[in-house]
Amino acid sequence: MKRRTLLQWIAGVAAILPFERLRLLAQPRELTPEAISALHEIAPTVLPGALGSARTRAVVDKFVVWTKAYREGAALAHGYGHPRLVRSGPTPVPLYVAQLAALEGEARARGGRWPALDQEARRSILDAAFTKAGVRNLPPRPSGQHVVTDLMAFYFRSSEANDDCYNAIINREVCRPIAITTMRPKPLA
Amino acid sequence: MPVYETDICIIGGGITSAMLAQKISELRPGVRIIVVEAGRSIFDVENRGRYRQRALDYNEHPWPGDYIEDQRAGGIISMTMAVGGLALHWGGACNRFSEEDLRLKSMYGLADDWPIEWSDLERFYCEAERRLNVSGEPSPHPEDRRSEPYPQGPIPLSYNLQILQRWAEQSGLKFSPLPMARNLTPFGGRGSCCVYDTCGEVCPSGARYSPDFTFRQLLQPKKIVLHDRTLVRRLVPHDTKSTIVAAQARHQDRPDDPIEYRAKTFVVASGYCWSAHLLLLSQSSRFPNGVANSSGLVGRYMNGHKFINATANIDDQTFPGQNMTHSLIAREYFRCRIDRPFVRHDTRVWESSAGRDPRLRSPEGKLLLGDELMADWRSRTKGSSVRLRAYVDVHPSADSRLTLDATNKNRYDDPMPKIEHRFDEKTLARDLDTKAHVLGVFNVLAKASNGRLVNSSEGDYLDHPGGGCRMGTDPATSVCDSYGRTHDHENLFVVGAPTTPTGGCTNGTLTFVALTLRSAQEIART
Repeated sequence: MKRRTLLQWIAGVAAILPFERLRLLAQPRELTPEAISALHEIAPTVLPGALGSARTRAVVDKFVVWTKAYREGAALAHGYGHPRLVRSGPTPVPLYVAQLAALEGEARARGGRWPALDQEARRSILDAAFTKAGVRNLPPRPSGQHVVTDLMAFYFRSSEANDDCYNAIINREVCRPIAITTMRPKPLA
Repeated sequence: MPVYETDICIIGGGITSAMLAQKISELRPGVRIIVVEAGRSIFDVENRGRYRQRALDYNEHPWPGDYIEDQRAGGIISMTMAVGGLALHWGGACNRFSEEDLRLKSMYGLADDWPIEWSDLERFYCEAERRLNVSGEPSPHPEDRRSEPYPQGPIPLSYNLQILQRWAEQSGLKFSPLPMARNLTPFGGRGSCCVYDTCGEVCPSGARYSPDFTFRQLLQPKKIVLHDRTLVRRLVPHDTKSTIVAAQARHQDRPDDPIEYRAKTFVVASGYCWSAHLLLLSQSSRFPNGVANSSGLVGRYMNGHKFINATANIDDQTFPGQNMTHSLIAREYFRCRIDRPFVRHDTRVWESSAGRDPRLRSPEGKLLLGDELMADWRSRTKGSSVRLRAYVDVHPSADSRLTLDATNKNRYDDPMPKIEHRFDEKTLARDLDTKAHVLGVFNVLAKASNGRLVNSSEGDYLDHPGGGCRMGTDPATSVCDSYGRTHDHENLFVVGAPTTPTGGCTNGTLTFVALTLRSAQEIART
């Protein structure tokens, strides 16, 4: 095949291929090892210290599982009163990877890796990142706006965090005998 | 064209359809019943735990495919269209109306009376409670006397609700656990409640009643035939007689092939929206305004109740998350003295975490991270938030309508319904006084435990809607009689929510079911 013919063929194929789909296919569908590593580094900053390292790691690991089990195009809750059909958007993973890379880049620009920064530097970086992503409040569950607020929501909106906050075994939305709910919740051990 | 012949053709597959089919099959063993439902059957009970978890984790809808994309109405409160209907994901509240609801005209000169005696309806409330296995505590008000006890004792109050009951009763109102169709022990092939606390979305144990269980139980011994994913588009009247001879339908997989159902009796059990819609769609040269519509009232007097919400902050300590779907109810204001300005409403109390959830920023705008966020959250958990709500009795005007919307059509080119609620003049005239009264009650409640209201709001839709085929004794002012038999067609019935002349001031489902069971008795007899 002559070079010109090859170029014409490539141009022809390119014209008919759904580029957006190709672009999406080229993006990561799962968090990369580097992204997961970055998330582990950031987690102790944004999750309570009382969790300790093991629980903090577990929260991140479960969040990674959450990202893997995300389904695109799933029908979301219709709502009641003013129902409407809404479907889940594309996986947030590519955005997450980019956001984590940007946070790492910002940390490097300030002189080192994330753990080496002081608290105010971390806050400043995250504050700017959240503002850029349009995050104003902690979402009720991971929403795909920013990976760090989604990690925070993943923990802080959980039944586990509710128990941690109230220092009580409430077990919100956890299947349990109804009789247990009639008593004042016992404190966490 | 497939033609199905049957004794009774029930159009619609929600809770009233389930109750109707169940009771008729008991009263008339061997009678042929076909239930035709536009939506699909979702009988995979074994998957509900997984669906629930994905709803919690991802906000996914826990009833996959329970809607038909092009079968959309304006002004509806839920998109669900499936076997089980809206009661697949109702909360299970089973409050009764009160005698005043049936006597608004004669007692207060308002709206219209229902053509039923309270003592008559009360018997069917008892039956509805038995069939739904309602858990409840008798009302402390003598006017709410019952002829039978609840089939189950009340749902045990959570620690939080015990605290809130003590708090709320300092107002002088008496609060009871909300009656609910929730199994405390296994019943009717369904499990017992283990406080998943997602009753309003999905109940994995089946403790909260949902009609899919009843349909499955009727299908197995072949007491009914269920045709799901089949949309009835027209009722066909006899050329000369006053009967309906057929229902014309299409199956979702064969949209070009008409199906016909021929039956001795047709029952429209399609809820507040699709019942009137079907009657209006069934136009012919003899009935240019649709069937059962000689009064011109099909699609009119659409009703429901308004609701007013508030949040109170109190000093008493609760632990949000114990049983957030259960509540307390006071029926004090179901009654209104005839020498006082008219106002009727229920009064409800829930545990709540409103205003006390974790937040990303301090009031000054500082980004909160890790320990700071947890400390901020903890600092706001002292005391409790309390969710308050009142369902308010409002009355529709004749212009409160469901109409055919020519700008919104489905795949068959049928105009979809559009609901626009309107109130009668007296309701509008007392609106401000009603709001002031309800907020006054909330303020009295809030005073105990150093409490105060921190916000209030008014719902922007009518809840528990009904109407559109209202019942009455006069064919000139109503669509059907008290059994739901249409005045115009002796073998056509409408049951449940559409037949209600007014919407009451508390959850409507138990009333819709009680009315339907009463209709079932009549349909089985004829």
